[in-house]
Amino acid sequence: MIRPHDSIIVQTLGRFLIPVVQIFGLYVLFFGQYGPGGGFVGGVILGTGMILSVLIFGHDASRSQIAKKILHGDGVGMLIYAGVGGLCMIGGGEFLNYANLEIPGLETASRRSLGIVLTQIGVAVDVAVTAVSIVFSLSAEEIIEDSING
Amino acid sequence: MSHQLPAIIFLLPLFAAISMPVVCLKNRHWSHPISVGTLVVMVLVSIINLYNVIHHGEIRYVFSGWSVPLGIEWVADGLASVILVLLSALALLGVVFSRTTSPKALGGRIVHYYTLVLLLISALTGIAFARDLFNLFVFLEVAAISSYALIGVAGGRALFAAFRYLVLGTLGASLYLLGVSYLYAVSGTLNMSDLAERLPLLLHSKALVGGLLFMFIGLGIKMALVPFHAWMPEAYTYAPDSVSPILASLVTKVALLAWIRIMYWVLNATIIINEIPILVMVAVLGALAAVIGATLALAQREIKMMFAYGGISHIGIILIGISQGNQTGFAGGVFYLLNDAVMQAALFFLAGVAYCQFGVRTVDDLGRIGKQAPWLIGFLVVVALGMIGLPPTGGFFGKWYIILGALEAGNYVSVAAVVVSTLLTLAYFVRLFEAIFRRGTTPMEVQVVEIPVSSKLTLGITSAAIIILGLFSAPIIQLLLDQAMPPRL
Repeated sequence: MIRPHDSIIVQTLGRFLIPVVQIFGLYVLFFGQYGPGGGFVGGVILGTGMILSVLIFGHDASRSQIAKKILHGDGVGMLIYAGVGGLCMIGGGEFLNYANLEIPGLETASRRSLGIVLTQIGVAVDVAVTAVSIVFSLSAEEIIEDSING
Repeated sequence: MSHQLPAIIFLLPLFAAISMPVVCLKNRHWSHPISVGTLVVMVLVSIINLYNVIHHGEIRYVFSGWSVPLGIEWVADGLASVILVLLSALALLGVVFSRTTSPKALGGRIVHYYTLVLLLISALTGIAFARDLFNLFVFLEVAAISSYALIGVAGGRALFAAFRYLVLGTLGASLYLLGVSYLYAVSGTLNMSDLAERLPLLLHSKALVGGLLFMFIGLGIKMALVPFHAWMPEAYTYAPDSVSPILASLVTKVALLAWIRIMYWVLNATIIINEIPILVMVAVLGALAAVIGATLALAQREIKMMFAYGGISHIGIILIGISQGNQTGFAGGVFYLLNDAVMQAALFFLAGVAYCQFGVRTVDDLGRIGKQAPWLIGFLVVVALGMIGLPPTGGFFGKWYIILGALEAGNYVSVAAVVVSTLLTLAYFVRLFEAIFRRGTTPMEVQVVEIPVSSKLTLGITSAAIIILGLFSAPIIQLLLDQAMPPRL
C-alpha cells in the first residue's frame, strides 16, 4: 500500500511534472519513426509518469485511478500488435507486412508508416502496463489480487 | 491462403492467449471453453498444414516480407508439420484434462493460468517452425518463462522447484544466446540455411567451435540431457497435475527438436570438427542419458518422479537414434520422439488421476488403486508396454528402427545402451506392478470414486494412440523417410 507523499514541494512539483512526462512519452513514442525513440522507450516513460503519480499522490488518489485501471490491459498492447499483423495477413501479405494493410486512399509508403506507428503504440501500452504492474506487485500484493478478482 | 498456414497455426493460440485477460475479465469460466475451442481449431489447421506439406511441398514464410537473410524465416517442412500435429493434439488433451485437475486455489487467476498455457503452446509452435537462430532463442525463452510460472502456480515445494528451473533454465538460455552471438560474429548471419552455407568455410575458427558448444550445452539444459537434468524431475513432480502432462510431453521434446535442427540443418552433422566427430559425441551422450535416466528412475519412490526420470532416459534413446548418421536411425529417432511425447502425456495423466482421485503419490500407495479402478491399471499396462517397447505399441517400432540404424552404422555401444535402458525400464515397471498387485497390503475400504469424463477421455485417447502409432508405424516411418529427412542425410 502506497500512501501519499507528505511533502508539499513533491506534491506541487508532481502536479506540474507528471503531464510533462506523459507528453514527452508520447513525443518519444511517435518520434520513433524519424529518430531515436519508439514503442519501448515511449512506453517506459508513459509508465514512469503513472508510477510517479502513484508514488506522490498515493494508491487511492483519483490521479492514480488510471494506473489501477490500466492493470487490466495486460493483453491489449499485444492485441493491437498482433491485430495489425493479422490485418496485414487478411490483406494478403505476410504477418506484419504493412504494405498489405488494406486502408483505402493511402499509398504504400503511408501504409508502412501507419503500420509501424500502430504496432509501436501496442508495444508502448504493453511496456507501460508491465512497468506499472511491477510497481504494484512490489508494493502491495493483495491489491493486485483484489483488482484481478474484481 | 495456404502459404499463410505456419503463421495461422502460431497466431491461433497467441491471439487466444492475449485476448484472454480482456475477454474473461467479467466471466472467468469462459477461459476453459475458449482454450479448448482454440486448440481444436489449431489441431485441424495443423492437419491441413501437414496434408498441404505432403502434397505441395514445404512452405517458406518470411515475416513482414523482408527477404531471407534479413527477415525472419519460418519453414513448415515435413518434420515441423508432423511435430505440430502431435503438439497441438497433446496440448488439446492436456487442456481438456486440466478442467478437473487444475488447482482449486487458483480462483480468479485461472484466466492467467490458461493464458500461460496457450502462450506456452504458441511458443513451442514457434520453436518448431523457426529457421532463425535468434528467433529460436526468443521462443525458447517465452516457452521457458511460461513454464516457470505454470510450475510455480501450485505454491509450496513447487515454488522451490520452479525457482531451481528458473535459475538453470536461464543459464541454459544465456549459454544458447552466447553461442548464437559467437556464430553471428563469425559468420554474420542468423538464418539457418544461410549459416549452413557459410559454416563449412569457417570450421577452423575457434569461435565457431566455442559457439556451437555453448549452444548445445544451453539446449542440453533445456531438454534435460543427463549431466544437466537436475531441474527436471522435481519441476515436473511438483508442478500442478494439470500442467505436468503438457510440460513433460512437449517442452523437452521441442527443445530436442531445436537440437536436431541445429545439428542437421545448420551444421552438417557428419562433419568432424577438430578431430571430434559430432555424431559419435552425441551418440555417447544419448547412451549415457538412456542408461543413467532409467537407473535413476528405478530408485524413485514417487510415481511422477519415476516417470520424469523415464522421460530423461527416453531423451537419450531419441538422441541415439538421430546420431547414427543414416536415414533409418533418424526416422526411428523422430518416430520415437512422437511416441515418447504421447507416452509421457499418458503417464502424467495417469499420475494426475491417481493423485486427484485416489490420493496416491508414491509407488507403495499404488496397491490401493488395484481394487477400486481396474480400468486405470489397464491404461497403465498399455502405457507400460509402450514405455518398455513391446509390440504392438509404437515404442517397440521406434526402438526397432533405432537399433536397425545403429546396426547399419556398426555402432554396437548404442545398441547395447538401448537394450540396457529397455531392461531397466522393464525393471521399474515391474516394481510398479509389484506394488499394485502385492498380496497382503491392507485392503483399504473400497469407496466409489467418480472419475471425471474428461480424465477418462484423455487417458483413453492417449492409450489408444500408443497402440495406433504402433499399428500404423510403417506408413508413419515411410512418411518421415520421404518428408522429414535433413538436407544432407
